[in-house]
Amino acid sequence: MASRTLSLDSVIAGYGYGDVLKGVDLEVERGSVTCIVGPNGAGKSTVLRAISGLLRPRQGTIRFEGADVCGVAPAEILARGIAQVPQSNGIFPNLSVRENVLIGAYILRRDRNLVQRRFGTVAELFPIVGERGGEKAGNLSGGQRRTVEFARSLMLDPSLVMLDEPSVGLDPKALRVIAQAIEQMSSAGKTLLIIEQNVRFGLRMSTHGVVMESGRVLMHDRADTVLNNPEMADLFFGGTVTAAPRRATTPA
Amino acid sequence: MTELIQTIAFGLLVGGVYALLASGLTLIFGVMNVINIAHGAFLILAAFLTFTLWSALGIDPLAAIVITTPAMLAFGWLVYVLTVRPIRRAPPSSSVLLTFGLALVLEAMMGLIWGNQSHAARPSYFTESFHISGIVLPKGQVYACALAAVVLACLWLFLARSWTGRAIRAAAVNPSGAELVGIDIVRVSALTFAIGVGTVGAGGALVSVLYPFLPGSHYIWIARLLGIIVLGGMGSLRGALIGALLLGLAETFTQTYVSAQWATAVPYAVIFIVLLVRPHGIVGMRLREDVAA
Amino acid sequence: MRLAAAARGAIPAELGELASPQWIGRALLVIGGAIVLTYPLISDDLFYQNLIILSLLFAIGAVGLNVIMGWGGYISLGQSSFIGLGAYTVGILATRLGGSPFVWLPAAGLVAAMFALVLGAVATRLRGHSFVIATIAALFLLQIVATNWRGFTHGTTGITLPIPQWDVAYQNWPFYYSLLGLLVLALLVSWRIRKTKFGTGLVAIREDEDKAATVGIDTPVYKSLGFALSAVFLGMAGGVYGYYLTFLDPNGMFDIVLSVQIVLAVILGGRGTIWGPVLGAFLIEGINELANQQLGGGNSRLLIFGGLLALSILLLPKGIIPSIEDLWKRRRTEGAAALVGARLNGAPAHAGDGGASPAPRTGSPLLEVRGLQKRFGGVHAVDGLSFAVEEGSITALIGPNGSGKTTAFNLIGGTMSADGGEVWLDGRRIDRLPPWRRAYLGLGRTFQITRLFGQMTVLENVVSPLRSFSVAQLNAGAMSGPEANRAEELLEFVGMREFRDQRAAELSFGQQKLVEFAQVLMLDPKLIMLDEPGGGINPTLVARIAEMIRDLNRRGTTFLIVEHNLPLVLTLCDPVLVLASGRCISSGTPGKIQKDPLVLDAYLGEDFKLEEPVGAH
Repeated sequence: MASRTLSLDSVIAGYGYGDVLKGVDLEVERGSVTCIVGPNGAGKSTVLRAISGLLRPRQGTIRFEGADVCGVAPAEILARGIAQVPQSNGIFPNLSVRENVLIGAYILRRDRNLVQRRFGTVAELFPIVGERGGEKAGNLSGGQRRTVEFARSLMLDPSLVMLDEPSVGLDPKALRVIAQAIEQMSSAGKTLLIIEQNVRFGLRMSTHGVVMESGRVLMHDRADTVLNNPEMADLFFGGTVTAAPRRATTPA
Repeated sequence: MTELIQTIAFGLLVGGVYALLASGLTLIFGVMNVINIAHGAFLILAAFLTFTLWSALGIDPLAAIVITTPAMLAFGWLVYVLTVRPIRRAPPSSSVLLTFGLALVLEAMMGLIWGNQSHAARPSYFTESFHISGIVLPKGQVYACALAAVVLACLWLFLARSWTGRAIRAAAVNPSGAELVGIDIVRVSALTFAIGVGTVGAGGALVSVLYPFLPGSHYIWIARLLGIIVLGGMGSLRGALIGALLLGLAETFTQTYVSAQWATAVPYAVIFIVLLVRPHGIVGMRLREDVAA
Repeated sequence: MRLAAAARGAIPAELGELASPQWIGRALLVIGGAIVLTYPLISDDLFYQNLIILSLLFAIGAVGLNVIMGWGGYISLGQSSFIGLGAYTVGILATRLGGSPFVWLPAAGLVAAMFALVLGAVATRLRGHSFVIATIAALFLLQIVATNWRGFTHGTTGITLPIPQWDVAYQNWPFYYSLLGLLVLALLVSWRIRKTKFGTGLVAIREDEDKAATVGIDTPVYKSLGFALSAVFLGMAGGVYGYYLTFLDPNGMFDIVLSVQIVLAVILGGRGTIWGPVLGAFLIEGINELANQQLGGGNSRLLIFGGLLALSILLLPKGIIPSIEDLWKRRRTEGAAALVGARLNGAPAHAGDGGASPAPRTGSPLLEVRGLQKRFGGVHAVDGLSFAVEEGSITALIGPNGSGKTTAFNLIGGTMSADGGEVWLDGRRIDRLPPWRRAYLGLGRTFQITRLFGQMTVLENVVSPLRSFSVAQLNAGAMSGPEANRAEELLEFVGMREFRDQRAAELSFGQQKLVEFAQVLMLDPKLIMLDEPGGGINPTLVARIAEMIRDLNRRGTTFLIVEHNLPLVLTLCDPVLVLASGRCISSGTPGKIQKDPLVLDAYLGEDFKLEEPVGAH
């Protein structure tokens, strides 16, 4: 179905001393902002690694825009239109802001015109790229750096952007900055898949929410429904959420 | 007073050439975490190459830079692929031992090919000097320093403006981040090593004119270069420049005001003092690592 | 099936063992030793005597270098500094004060050792490659000083030692046998070191220096001491060598190629073994003579040794003896059931004589943290953190990702230094102390991802921690004696006793956790900090560990535990401290914490409101 950009079906994956993902079913709608939340060890980051090709699932399928991408190499995943912004330290502090963004198009560097055009589009979307382009990225604040990383991820014009814990280490002011940046990416037509430790922040800016626990998806619904579920608190304190409907009831 | 200005001027000229020689060494360390002890031997090899070009073909040794640089660049690539790449996952001390072995091998081969006597390329202008308000500046030294500055400028331009240069700078600071954007770390390392050796390819031509040399000279040169990068901060090009100028001044001052013999001890003394007082050097790019559990 | 395999292993083993490297090696050793011991008595051939004399010199150098390099993991390319220092000490003293050079040998050893101590104190503050550079620089500096300080050393003119006074019939016997004696001494000391806690400490430093510091190993002292021991016999040997040559000059005595040959001897023969360096030394000297006699010396010699060094790093980094051992081990363990895969006994550990009631809590704080600060780049990992841990309690430290828990542990334990604030343990301020001092004061700590000394056995791992810095502790036997017995008891307590001779690197994650726990207990700590003791292991093992914690707590040990496994925390710990954004935001009983809205906020995230709800466009 065309509206499903990304789908995982019964994915089982692990690192050698046991499986982290124990049968994950997940569908991400085109154009949505989907946020995966869950306690530590639930397997959230592992889902990203499986999609981006860093970890090969033992079982199950991963499909992106109709094609099977299970176990495909990371460089190929990048080429197919899935970009990832890692959790920490993606920035090159000794390079300028402009260079930090440009380097996102490294694999396209031979086509100068294309790179310039893309850079123009990205700079329009994120003013900071133009305003502080010449400064060393190391001089920017945490939220600004994160925004630059988002900008970089768009240089390859991906259709799916995956963000790994974008809020980590940021103060409330910075959170507002990157929430806006995420908003802008969504309005530019990108599908976003976000892993978040900060449940409220993550779900408040998303259209859909996914709750994971112990390697499985427990809940997948509209973001506000997930957030207001009274059992969420229990989940984080050792209880468990009773399994709720898997699919989103209505698209946002 | 004139003697003081003379000493300073000469020290800066000397330091300028040192800066070119040390830039490659610090670049290699910054990107690959490898201490290339054979750097001095590559330098002397380039000097011998220049000497042959000059004595057999009459090519001006300073002009020979356009031949020695690409030649050493290619040689550096070869050495990397054959010997350094296989041990890239080994601890840093392995690279020290390996490159030390390489240095000895190079020293032996130079001795077998050219012999162990002292050599020097002496173009006509070597004995001439510029006289500026009472200060005497040997022409050879001035030309060499100017050339060194040109090569350094080219290196800087390459690193600052080209895609590959950006990739090298990115990899130096954040190898995993670099891989995520599609940069091939192994190729970047090979290129960095080749460029590093290429810079002493250029430097070798200069050294062949300024200093008498024989195969065993690589020890004093690697000592100087290590002293410079330890002083300036290992991995920092800016630090290499500062360290080079400082070492040049220190050596010249020791030569003028103490004795020529003790001047050879200066690089070693620098290494110890820096390691004792401020181990990460003046510019200190690699911050003291806090251990995470 | 298992029976058949065992039978296959049993019968040929008897004969097969005789062909094992162990027995062949011992036989070769006895034969070789006999030859070396009696050679000058049997033969007059000066060429071969000279060969053996030089081999003995290399061997002494290599055996010494093995202490700091093979065990400690610190490579030195400056060992010929000690040869030169020893030679010049003997030369100068003998020519100025008279007497036989042999009389001055102890002074040579002393000078060499002192130089090593000073150099070690400076250079071992840094790691790996900086140390090598420093040793090279030291060697060249010494050469320059010897060349320039003419008044003392006669510079390049050199010093000529007095001609030997003994009967010509004895030829080189005094040189020969004094070097042999020095080698035997060096081997004995080396062997003794390996058997003691000093030796295991050195290997611990090689395997994981920062972890070693947390178990009471005073790393700078160990390294300097190891370096000094590598120097003392070589210094004396240098004195003999100088006398043997009769002529000392800076280039000959401070020769970098000699250093390279000593390093090669250790690498080729096998680092970290007792006899490897000796084997390597004789090999190297053989090649040396070959290069000199057949190939004209000079550049060929350089080519050979440079090439050998490069090739051995590239192709045979382990060395000859360890490679043979590995090969043999692989052949023998095919088919034999590996002990490592065996399932751990599910029953909880034997509780000993602990009573059923929990330990008396005194109410006074054992650990106090006041206003701790730590920044990484622009991020405040720990921002004015203050809390106290009551003596006798099992206190939990929980909080979401990024709240600063592990950083707090690192700051308290000493593997990181704080930007501000204080840490007090049992009434003493500890935040300025190095990790080993904190261990002596009663602080023990485990790591989230277990850190053991992989190449050592389980028993050695548990023996290596030091409870206090004393000669007695350093000299205590590692494999037998009271320390080893205590270690075995602790292994019994955690249920890992059968694995005592297994290499730590081969254990599973859960097994490593148990060994790390035993390691910490070796310190007899007052406060044990556990970083995610329940992480990454099956529930049975978690229950077992919880039982051990309770048992120890009953007997008086205080615990501070970081955990994500909240059910475990809620049943085991009281009180619970909650961290968020680098601060302690709440504390209390588990029940109270569960209902605290502040805590809920911390886990679910700040009440964050967007200007516009998403999806409104």
